[in-house]
Amino acid sequence: MPLHPLSRRNLIVVGAAALLTIVSGVSRADDTIRIGMIPDAGATQVSIDQKAPLQAYLAKELGHPVKLVIPTSYNATVEGLGNGSLDFAYLGGLTFVKAHGRYGVAPLVQRDIDKKFHSLFITQADSSIHALADLKGKTFAFGDINSTSGHLMPYRAMVKAGIDPDKDLKWFRYTGSHAATVQAVAAGVAEAGSVDETVFRALIAENKVDGKKLRVFFTSPDFVDYVWVARKDIDPAIQKKFAEAFLRLTPEHDAAILAILRGNKFVTATAAEYDDIEDVAKRLAMF
Amino acid sequence: MDPFWTQLAAFFPPYVSAHYLLALIGPVAESLGMTVGAMFVAYLVSLPVGLAMATEAPGGRAAQRFLAGFRAIPDLTLAIFCVVLFGLGSGAGMLALALYYMGAVAKMFGDLLRTAPAAPVAALRATGANRAQIALFGLLPLKSADLLTYGSYEFESAVRASVIVGAVGGGGLGSELVGTLAGLDYQRTTTLIIILILIVSGIDRLTVALRRWPRLLWLFPPIGIAALYFYGPHFLALGHAARTFAGMFPPTLSAREWHRLPALIGETVGIAAAGTAFAVVFALPLGLASARNIAPGWVAVPVRRLLETLRSIPEVVWGLVLIVVAGVGPTAGALALGLHSLGCLGRLYAESFENVPRAPVVALAATGAGPISVAGFATFPLALGPIAAHSLFRFEWNLRMATVVGLIGAGGIGQALYDAQQLMFYRPMMAYLLVTVAIVAAADFLNERTRAYFGWSYLAR
Repeated sequence: MPLHPLSRRNLIVVGAAALLTIVSGVSRADDTIRIGMIPDAGATQVSIDQKAPLQAYLAKELGHPVKLVIPTSYNATVEGLGNGSLDFAYLGGLTFVKAHGRYGVAPLVQRDIDKKFHSLFITQADSSIHALADLKGKTFAFGDINSTSGHLMPYRAMVKAGIDPDKDLKWFRYTGSHAATVQAVAAGVAEAGSVDETVFRALIAENKVDGKKLRVFFTSPDFVDYVWVARKDIDPAIQKKFAEAFLRLTPEHDAAILAILRGNKFVTATAAEYDDIEDVAKRLAMF
Repeated sequence: MDPFWTQLAAFFPPYVSAHYLLALIGPVAESLGMTVGAMFVAYLVSLPVGLAMATEAPGGRAAQRFLAGFRAIPDLTLAIFCVVLFGLGSGAGMLALALYYMGAVAKMFGDLLRTAPAAPVAALRATGANRAQIALFGLLPLKSADLLTYGSYEFESAVRASVIVGAVGGGGLGSELVGTLAGLDYQRTTTLIIILILIVSGIDRLTVALRRWPRLLWLFPPIGIAALYFYGPHFLALGHAARTFAGMFPPTLSAREWHRLPALIGETVGIAAAGTAFAVVFALPLGLASARNIAPGWVAVPVRRLLETLRSIPEVVWGLVLIVVAGVGPTAGALALGLHSLGCLGRLYAESFENVPRAPVVALAATGAGPISVAGFATFPLALGPIAAHSLFRFEWNLRMATVVGLIGAGGIGQALYDAQQLMFYRPMMAYLLVTVAIVAAADFLNERTRAYFGWSYLAR
């Protein structure tokens, strides 16, 4: 059979070869472990170098190169665990419930404070707001829509106090991060807001906001929040190493790493602790 | 002090340190790599499709329709989809850009190639040349200059879009920008915006050079392939993508969401209308002040620079900043559309003033009328037609963009889509996406009608 350089069959063969080359390039493997963190405190790819000690520590403990990734949204962190672009991740309570329900991620460790976490309601020091009931007719800033301490639990606290955020507030908005909520309240863009207690204290300690300008007017009841998880297909031996790396942290030896994590001590986490969060999320139509 | 000004002041002065600028090389390379790779694919796919369409080859029209379908989904929305389906990073961003610009470039190439002069093509056909030969030896050489010019415009627009898709997790400068805003590092945000302006003007210079020395184009394929390799999707979770996509069907809205829908659509249309009105009101004086035949150089040149700056910052980036300054909500969205549109309309109005027929203007001046009277009674009324056309085009474009700025927190249907996506309520998300596509399609339809009415000479984008 004579060979026509531009025959249909040859074109198909060439096309298929090209496609294969592209696909094989796409699926090239490397052994870097990718660890995601929800952008709860606001962070950039560049500011990841502030987290370099954590990355170096985990690389040493896991015996693999490690890449820390801070996606632009909570949702993207969960989807990263779903599609395999992240191997481990730091999630909030609500994002954990979602990632666990959809993709079966395994809870590993959390800070001791995460078992009894609180969300703070803040306002300007001289404002007329002193209790949840005073929020009627006011403007309010929640954090990310997927945040447990910035949205889910404060929402529940308001509902329990007889405030329907959809009807009783003048308006509410999602700021996307706890830091942005604090800033919005400090600048007067919103009259009050709800934030993660550790982020709020860290911002004041770092002088990023003026602590004297703000006042906490309500502290939520205890709930369980942040947790480090593994994608379900991760080798259990590596999951174990990962958990142990956190459980071994002590304030005496690892102050720099613990400061990044805003905690003092890590403990084992279980999925059962989150039953209550799941229940609240379902009732408030956030799950 | 008013929170608006306090917040605005927080963006100045821009943060500059050697360490930070060095650290930004990575994100800048990622944004550029994403663009180059995506546009390489877009040109590669669009050229044959455009040629097939222009030569009326079987399937050409169908292929173009298919690609144009992606154009109905705004780039930012496509990026959100790609991040959901293919994970984070420049791979998803590149994919979104490639899909969007394949649609845009195929349509543009097809339209351009169809306008090739008929005589040479007919002569070629008379020699018995087949479609491929007509395409290669007739259409391509006849239209190469136009293809290059309009192709490079699309590249410029893709550079800006790469920052936009980055904002939802596509990596590069956009991701960095969103991070600085969420982390309250506003002075760094300003630095990033300045870098964006510099990149856009650098690309502008580059495309001018390319039109002068078309041989430079040979550098594009190797750079494109390298960009695909380094910044393309690094893994493909096809099973996950298929499952997630299937989970978006059937699109569903709850009774409560249906109830809210008209208000959301109204808000989106309102954002577009308010933004356009803002731009028109300020573009008239600024357009006059920057028209070379009306304003003296010492006024025209700085005003032109201002307008250039306003339009080199995309609506979404304006939106991200204004949400910090003016608070989340439709006001920020309308202002974002308004400021970018002001940059665009200001220039177009100025050109309209410059292009008025000279005779009536000279005649009025000869009667002894002063410069202000001449502008008011001759130049202005004569330019009114094009100005109306440009404003109408802008409103239609803003209708499309209003769905996009919603995604970053400016309210309306875009915000509903984004909130549903964030909460992983993918069926309502798909429903909102279909509503968005319908709004964009309506805007495109209006646009085609306006264009048919005014003719192509008033073409505005």
